[in-house]
Amino acid sequence: MTNPKADLLQGTLDMLILKALSLGPLHGYGIIQRIRRMSDEMLTVEQGALYPALYRIELKGWVSGKWGENETGRKAKFYKLTRAGQKQLRLEEESWDRLVLVVAKMREAT
Amino acid sequence: MRWLNVLIARLRALLWRDKVIHDIDEELRAHLELEMDANREMGMTPDEARLSAAKSFGNVASIRDLAYEVKGGGFMETVWQDLRYSARMLFKHPGFTAIAVLTLTLGIGANTAIFSIVNAVLLRPFPFQAPEQLVIVGEFVPGGSVSYPNFVDWRDDRNVFESASAVRSNESYNFSGAGEPERLQGRLVSAGFLTLLGVKPFLGRDFLPEDDRPGATPAVMLSYGFWSRTFGNDQNIIGKTITLNNQGYTVIAITPQDFQFGLPADVTIPVGLSAERFKVRGGDPGIGVVARLKPNVSQQQTESELNVVYKRLEQQYPDTNTGRRAVLMPLHESFVGSVRQPLFILLGAVGLVLLIACANVANLLLVRASTRKREMSVRVALGANRWRIIRQLLTESLLLAVIGAALGIVLAHWGTSFIASQLPDGIPRIAEANVDLRVLLFTLGVSIITGVLFGLAPALQASRINLVDALKEGDRGSVSRQHLRSVLVVCEVALTLTLLVGAGLLIQSFRRVLQVDPGFEAQNLLTMQVSVNNPDGNQVVSFFKQLQENVRSLPGVKSVAISNGLPLGSANHPVFFIQGRPLPEPGKAPGAIRYTVSPDYFQTMGIELVKGRVFNVQDTPSTPLVVVIDEALAQHFQNEDPIGQRLSQTATGGPIYEIVGVVRHVEQYGLDGQATRTPQLYLDFNQMPAERWPGSVRRINLLTRTDVEPTSLAGAVRGQIAALNKDQAVFNVRTMEQIVSQSVAARRFSMLLLAVFAVVALALAVIGIYGMLSYAVAQRTREIGLRMTLGAQRTDVMRLVIGHGMKLAVAGVALGLIASFALTRTMKNLLFGVSATDPVTFGLITLILTTVALLACWIPARRATKVDPIEALRYE
Repeated sequence: MTNPKADLLQGTLDMLILKALSLGPLHGYGIIQRIRRMSDEMLTVEQGALYPALYRIELKGWVSGKWGENETGRKAKFYKLTRAGQKQLRLEEESWDRLVLVVAKMREAT
Repeated sequence: MRWLNVLIARLRALLWRDKVIHDIDEELRAHLELEMDANREMGMTPDEARLSAAKSFGNVASIRDLAYEVKGGGFMETVWQDLRYSARMLFKHPGFTAIAVLTLTLGIGANTAIFSIVNAVLLRPFPFQAPEQLVIVGEFVPGGSVSYPNFVDWRDDRNVFESASAVRSNESYNFSGAGEPERLQGRLVSAGFLTLLGVKPFLGRDFLPEDDRPGATPAVMLSYGFWSRTFGNDQNIIGKTITLNNQGYTVIAITPQDFQFGLPADVTIPVGLSAERFKVRGGDPGIGVVARLKPNVSQQQTESELNVVYKRLEQQYPDTNTGRRAVLMPLHESFVGSVRQPLFILLGAVGLVLLIACANVANLLLVRASTRKREMSVRVALGANRWRIIRQLLTESLLLAVIGAALGIVLAHWGTSFIASQLPDGIPRIAEANVDLRVLLFTLGVSIITGVLFGLAPALQASRINLVDALKEGDRGSVSRQHLRSVLVVCEVALTLTLLVGAGLLIQSFRRVLQVDPGFEAQNLLTMQVSVNNPDGNQVVSFFKQLQENVRSLPGVKSVAISNGLPLGSANHPVFFIQGRPLPEPGKAPGAIRYTVSPDYFQTMGIELVKGRVFNVQDTPSTPLVVVIDEALAQHFQNEDPIGQRLSQTATGGPIYEIVGVVRHVEQYGLDGQATRTPQLYLDFNQMPAERWPGSVRRINLLTRTDVEPTSLAGAVRGQIAALNKDQAVFNVRTMEQIVSQSVAARRFSMLLLAVFAVVALALAVIGIYGMLSYAVAQRTREIGLRMTLGAQRTDVMRLVIGHGMKLAVAGVALGLIASFALTRTMKNLLFGVSATDPVTFGLITLILTTVALLACWIPARRATKVDPIEALRYE
């Protein structure tokens, strides 16, 4: 049912969402925008991928959602990073750094 | 705790489905609106903004479905869907369903019934406070009786036990209320008995030390049952007086309804009232002792501390206490120790029956799976994944198992009371066997395990489908499925053989037990118990003399005797000393079972005289004391002639008896009692001085040998007793054959139960072999047709099919023989006169099973020969 490639992508998406939320609580639309801005417009997350991923990490207890209003008075569900989410983000960033380092080393070695 | 979150989410999605979906919809709408806002800010018209937002969002419905599934939705719905589908499938195939459910009901029901008995007898803690601290104290042997004076010496030593109480069950009392005198079961205990157990009386109070001493105002506790039966739950009974053995006892308590301690007792009386009766330190009669360990002190530690006291007593009373030591035993062990093994063997046996049932249902499912192949491949073609199909099929199996379990509980409820009613007396707490929470959990667990067990293999098989092959017409049945079914049949036969061998060994043992010569003639012998209750010994003596004479004159009576004990029951065996020999080391003197009988006892019982003479009218209190011994005691004289030698029952100073005769040994402890025979000796009632007749009640057995059916004389004999003394209670009227039969009741019971299980297993195995072969024949119709076209004879076809079946049967038998060799040694203790690997039993069972298997193969084989070659080939 699961394949390793999907896991990798999903894990990455989880990390991106956590990273986006680490700058402050945000609604779904905002998360997509923030990821785009943070990646210098290089990364666009589809809504169809965002919400299932968001709900999954909510079940894991890394983020918590709450209805609220934005600056223009629109109702939206705001997500906030939990303490467990912060820890998870740190873990994932570390493992990413390691991966990047390893890949870089491998590519340097000719 | 992640699974907990998931579970909560799933439940939420199931219970508040609309709310969950609404929530998602709201969030997605908010998202669209935010995006529209942003679009408008970039200068789009409202219409453009909406369109652009909708376009970038994609398919809202499919995102919602995905999101809903993440939020736990769908899972429970799928379960529900699977369940409904499974129920439909089961309804659509009533024949299959009925057979599967019936098989499972039998298997699960039998397991539940046996487990509820095991639960009641072995697992459920005793309803006492901290029952693990309670021990039984015995002298010499675990559970042995304790000399009352010894007990009194250490009872109050708080350094050893928290508290201790005497318990002597199996006492009897005459209760003369209104109407006929009634015989009551009694129990003697010490002060603080209920407090020791942590049991609160239903009414009244526990015995106090001032109740528990000679000369105290007699007090009595009534059992709840006796109280409500006789006094109609009279709430004001406390303080009233009832008459037991012509003496008034003040009722001080009613024990709780569920209170039980060892043998049932209608009345409980302080032992101290009759301390006189137990004053001999030698320990005859003795008492039982229950005690509570001090907190945090182990049984071993307590035992060694108690034996410090015993060493002191040894120095103080060397005559009686030399070598006397206390042994502790957990209360639980003493109550259920002897039934544990048979019950666990029965539990193991029903477990095997259940496994066989599982194998059968798995086989059924495998057959059905091949007919459902098209259905499965259509589902796969429509996008169902493998896990989804396994889940569907497992749901069906579990549903079957749960239905079987539900019916099984009903069967068990009925079966438990049936088994309980068939069990011999004395198995503790058997009456409490019922379906409780633990039993329900057990059954639920068993049904889930069986559901998975019989459902998993077929489900895995069915899910491994090659789409192209399966959708094509023509189903030859996959090779691996055939293989799996063969393995199941082999296992089934092996398990059945093991059960049959177990049952066979028990049946053999039972036959051997019944062949044991008890040493007396059980036919045409009527026994009844008469209680003596008269302080005047002379009157008692004349009562029995007169009674025997009167009964002897009845038509149909050959001879009459009285005795103080009967074979096949409990007995005490005090020590004996042969005169003229050096005294044995203290505590090492041999013991002999002692009977006191009237001279006609040997003739009436049919006990053969080997040598010398039995008692006769010349033996009186004033002539020299004589004794008759049995062959086992005679062996103590080796080559000397025992006749004329003299015995005594005390080391020094007691009466001395001259041996006048040797008689056959009688099986006292049951036909399968003991490997080594305990010596026996007989004293003559007529030589007993009248003053030795106790004032308290003793049970005397009246034995009547008849020419006619013994029960037909019971009324007449009772009439004679009533004519002499109308207040005389008579009880336990039984024929000797009944006594023999009761003595083997426990053995008969476990044998019958195991035999029933084995027969059920055999039936299931036959169905299994038959079903498997019938199906194989149906599948090989074409092959058989082809063979016949090519010239195969009917006998060849028969040989082919029978060979197929018998190959499996023989493999199963071989496997079963190995398993039996390994398993039957666990039941060694239950066997009698037959070894755990008895070749006759093993051979016979193998023969029976092979023959039955052959029959099961024969019917499908015959059907195979009826195949019309033309028809079979045209089918292609």
